[in-house]
Amino acid sequence: MATTNERDPDGWQARLASRFARMGAVVQDTENDAVAAGVVGAVSLAGAFAGFLVTSPYTSVCIVGFLLSVGYGWVRHQELAAKGVTMAMTVSTVVILSLITVFIFYEAWPILQDRSGQVLGVTVPGLELFTTTAWTPAEGTPRYSMLPMIQGTVLVTIIATAVAGPLGVAAALFISEIAPAPVREVVKPGVEILAGIPSIVYGFIGFTVLSPWASDQFDLVGQGTYLFVGIVVGLMALPTVVSVAEDAINSVPESMKSGSLALGTTDWQAMTTITLPTAFSGVSAAVLLGVGRAIGETMAATVMLRNTPRVAEPLYNVFYGFETLTSLIAANYGSSSGLQKDALFVAGCILFVSVLTLSIGSQLIEERMDHDLGRAE
Amino acid sequence: MAGAAESTVVREDTSTYEAVAGLTVGLAAILFFLGLAATVDIVSVTGTLAGLGTLTALGLLLVVMGLAVVAFGLASYRGIFPTDPRASAGLVAATLFSGLWFLVGALVGSETLGLGFGGGLAVGLLVGAVGFAATALPREDIGSTLPAGALAVLFGLVFLLGVVGPEWSWSPASFPDSQSVTFFARTIAPFAVILSALVVGWAAAKAYGGFGARGRHLGAYLLVYLNAIAIIAVLVALVAFVVVKGFAPVTESVTVGLGVGPATTIALFGFSYEVVWPVNWPFLMNGASLFTDVTGVFPAIVGTAWLVVGAVLLAVPLGVGAAIFLTEYAEQGRFTRVVEVATNALWSTPSIVFGLFGAAFLVPRFTPQPQKSLLAGMITLGFMLLPLVVITSREAMIAVPDEYRDASAALGVSKWQTIRSVVVPAAMPGVVTGVILGVGRIAGETAPLLLTMGGGSFVGAGQRAKVLDSFQLSLSPPFVTNPELTQATTALPYQLYQVVLTGTGETAGVTDITAFGWGTALVLLAVVLLFYAVGIATRQYFRSKLTYE
Amino acid sequence: MSETEPVTNGTERPAETTAGETDERTREAWREYEFAGETKLAVEDLDVYYGDDHALKRVSMDIPEESVTALVGPSGCGKSTFLRCLNRMNDRIGTARIDGSVELDGQEVYQDGVDLVELRKQVGMVFQAPNPFPKSIRDNITYGPRQHGDIDTGLLARLTGRDDSEAADRLVERALRQAALWDEVEDRLDDNAMGLSGGQQQRLCLARCLAVDPEVILMDEPASALDPIATAKIEDLVEELAEEYTVVVVTHNMQQAARISDQTAVFLTGGELVEYDDTGKIFEDPESQRVEDYVSGKFG
Ligand SMILES: Nc1ncnc2c1ncn2[C@@H]1O[C@H](COP(=O)(O)OP(=O)(O)OP(=O)(O)O)[C@@H](O)[C@H]1O
Ligand SMILES: [Mg+2]
Repeated sequence: MATTNERDPDGWQARLASRFARMGAVVQDTENDAVAAGVVGAVSLAGAFAGFLVTSPYTSVCIVGFLLSVGYGWVRHQELAAKGVTMAMTVSTVVILSLITVFIFYEAWPILQDRSGQVLGVTVPGLELFTTTAWTPAEGTPRYSMLPMIQGTVLVTIIATAVAGPLGVAAALFISEIAPAPVREVVKPGVEILAGIPSIVYGFIGFTVLSPWASDQFDLVGQGTYLFVGIVVGLMALPTVVSVAEDAINSVPESMKSGSLALGTTDWQAMTTITLPTAFSGVSAAVLLGVGRAIGETMAATVMLRNTPRVAEPLYNVFYGFETLTSLIAANYGSSSGLQKDALFVAGCILFVSVLTLSIGSQLIEERMDHDLGRAE
Repeated sequence: MAGAAESTVVREDTSTYEAVAGLTVGLAAILFFLGLAATVDIVSVTGTLAGLGTLTALGLLLVVMGLAVVAFGLASYRGIFPTDPRASAGLVAATLFSGLWFLVGALVGSETLGLGFGGGLAVGLLVGAVGFAATALPREDIGSTLPAGALAVLFGLVFLLGVVGPEWSWSPASFPDSQSVTFFARTIAPFAVILSALVVGWAAAKAYGGFGARGRHLGAYLLVYLNAIAIIAVLVALVAFVVVKGFAPVTESVTVGLGVGPATTIALFGFSYEVVWPVNWPFLMNGASLFTDVTGVFPAIVGTAWLVVGAVLLAVPLGVGAAIFLTEYAEQGRFTRVVEVATNALWSTPSIVFGLFGAAFLVPRFTPQPQKSLLAGMITLGFMLLPLVVITSREAMIAVPDEYRDASAALGVSKWQTIRSVVVPAAMPGVVTGVILGVGRIAGETAPLLLTMGGGSFVGAGQRAKVLDSFQLSLSPPFVTNPELTQATTALPYQLYQVVLTGTGETAGVTDITAFGWGTALVLLAVVLLFYAVGIATRQYFRSKLTYE
Repeated sequence: MSETEPVTNGTERPAETTAGETDERTREAWREYEFAGETKLAVEDLDVYYGDDHALKRVSMDIPEESVTALVGPSGCGKSTFLRCLNRMNDRIGTARIDGSVELDGQEVYQDGVDLVELRKQVGMVFQAPNPFPKSIRDNITYGPRQHGDIDTGLLARLTGRDDSEAADRLVERALRQAALWDEVEDRLDDNAMGLSGGQQQRLCLARCLAVDPEVILMDEPASALDPIATAKIEDLVEELAEEYTVVVVTHNMQQAARISDQTAVFLTGGELVEYDDTGKIFEDPESQRVEDYVSGKFG
């Protein structure tokens, strides 16, 4: 679908006016009962939403009102009703998605305010969460530092990316370029199934097998290492990397590869000098998405880590695993309240923002690849 | 150019050389698997191998292979065998080798020579630089064999000469006592063996291909194939492991026969009829109880089933409707683009963030007192599923060719009729497949449930979510209530988490909590993989229909 | 298959009964086709199947060196398939199965131990649709030699003083001049090749192929997407190239075949090589009625 943006940026008032005029015309053209049903439907939907927000028992009344008006519209004016309902669905989807953003930040706000700090005379909300290293919610002056968890998440993500990135790209190359057809028919669904194994199952295996084994092998104090959490999480991020990278590699036109082979290169040369560079943006988008998955992976980390926030020393000590941002939330939400609970929302915000950035970044990169190839075709 | 020196397209016969190089690749494979076996203690590092101490034997193998690889390089360099080496082994190989050699140098410098961190770094950099130069500067046949072979020989000698014996261990001093690490020979040796096997195998594969383009091709293919095999092996091992561990607990006391199973009462139009199941499968049909022999996961299965139903009922109509609007009605422009980016972003949003949202937004709203509930879990998972439904439905609808729409429009059919009779049916396969795969994913989702729904470590069969039986009508708003929906309950992934968390099931009649956990994991895995298998099969089916029609 | 059938006018179609006889007769005739020079490529009883689809049927022909051989025939008759057999690009098509023999300078191409890299270095190919790499013009030309290790301008080469930049520049100029593209791109060698026009891209692909210094050049309808001026340029080029190289060119354009080629092979629907002879003979006095009908534009 082609996008038609690039409109005159200054003419928005004119556009708005014309849009209203058009809307007016539409209302004029539409039969009265249809307009009425539309208005009732819209109002009751909005009412239901408001009622839900304030936990009113009348929410269900509004829902019934909405359903009735939709039913009426469907019988009398199906064409319009369909458009209206699908539009309402779109709006609800968008509202839901924005609510998620709003609520996480809303819930995190109290502690950000409480733990603000001064930088050059400017008050920065939540600064203290990042300038100390202690997470001691139970003490007299409770401290809620995010740094131990950030260290954990960073270490786990680096290890996971080191596993999922190269192996994933190699597997994607294998599936789309190297494997003979029958092998591909096995490996491809196999990798997808790998994506299907629930993270708690990985976690359970890690908890019962890997963690004790690691403690024994490295003679650790207690159980739980970032190293093995990272490896397990990397395994879990692998399918994401493989499938997105494979799509990108597949979209490189066959004619380019043949062009290289006809000059007398080996398959491997064609892959490394033509296919991969051409698919570079798509492949990096795949790795970015994999990084996002690794950052957000929760259960394997929660189950395999020690769940006592602490900084691992030295900073690269991957043999001790305390807490990641995700496992902090999962392990502590049930038993926390007040500021501590809000601190969990801060962790949620950090996760949300970093994954959002990665996702949007990878989408922009992918778009560039489409653009590049668009020129090529 | 024609008439110039007669060149040949058939490779010269190098069978001896190739046979020896091939043999070395094979030996490297054996070494690789020996290393793997040693990591999982199938081969004991402190024991013996072929009459020698394991480490001695491995060291001997390493030295032999390292020397063999160096010999290939030299033979090629001296022109004893016809090969086609490049001027240099290349930047990539040089960087990787220098990294390896840097590590070796840094460890030896800081620990063996006791030069501390700075000294170690200096020695590491020096050795790394030598490694880089040794790879990059000489001709390819030397550059890709010498550093590789030397690494294997070094490791081999370390084991042979007993520098690292079976009882060797090392704890870095810079780690605090509470976070100390000890590296034992039994851990390090297998790792070193695997690493050398990879490096030597790669170099031998290059030699086998006569270096040059063909050698690089073979070397790289060796690693890529190995990677693919390893991934599939891990997958098979994971699934097999869960099956092996979970099979016994899941199938404990299963009996088949008329009338052995539990009874289900079906009440319809005033008639009530009791059906007795012909199979009794305690693990799947029992709850937690001190009075039954086998504690099962029935309530968790019921919970997961309801979760999936609820999430699908919420997400599929909303998502498909939104996709229809976005694809068919909305002007393709900035708005649709933003929605698309946002949905994609939400699909990769961590599940725990959805859990936080559910906890903040949904949990306080169904009951006077905030309370985790089945409904909150359903809606949270529905929200998680929503972006996927929008994305896959939109993709499927965009893939429907415009000609279909035009053809329909040309017949004078209205837009909605066109959508209903042309677009949606054509997009159906894509939507269905996407939804099935998405359901597989949310069925195994745990994190959001901790925050929104889960309650009770071990739930009795009687406390399962009896949603259908519990609708209550009343005259005051909200007119319909269902306490089962607004109560906390359990689900398969949540149950498994509880197994880890509590670590004991004495109070619920579970004697072997780990076995119970494996059983739960197996049931969960089976449920999720069933969805995936059905989803993948559906896609394959539709695809084959599309291509062969 | 039905859409690749040539559009024929029923009345002008040669009688089915005579077709078989003609084939046998001409097959003997072109088998004994004699030419002055050395044989570069000898094809013997070549059969190609795509799955169950028999795309080339028992094709035999000898291609003389340092000459232009044109392959003509209706769409779908297997010209591209035949061409791809000569440098074994058909190996890439999973469903393709090849029987028979192709010899390059007397060496069997379809035997164990053939080095595809070496073969394709010697038998270069220009595709039906231009397919430059999404790299600079310079990199496109030097791509082949760099991959073959003949030229090295990488970082490492520069550091160790093995830099071949000058040789690379000379090569780029030579290849581009040979392909009659030098004047047009001389001052934008570092621009992306995707920005060139279709005709320029096609000549770039030819230059890229020449840079590897092959002995045989296979061209699949090199002028199909070009305007008359660009076509004329390519035609001139082909004739020039024949002084040094063995050129095999597929074309749909009879006049073009007549203008540029020394000998012409006519394939007809079903993957048969119906006649192969001096171009003059094919266009003036072909043995087969079907070939006469085809080259005179009566069908196909
Ligand atoms: N990759 C392939 N897979 C299956 N069948 C193929 C493939 N390539 C070609 N064919 C079939 O082989 C036959 C010959 O095709 P080919 O491309 O050689 O024809 P052509 O003479 O080059 O036609 P054109 O002049 O249109 O390029 C056709 O029937 C075609 O359908
Ligand atoms: Mg063709």
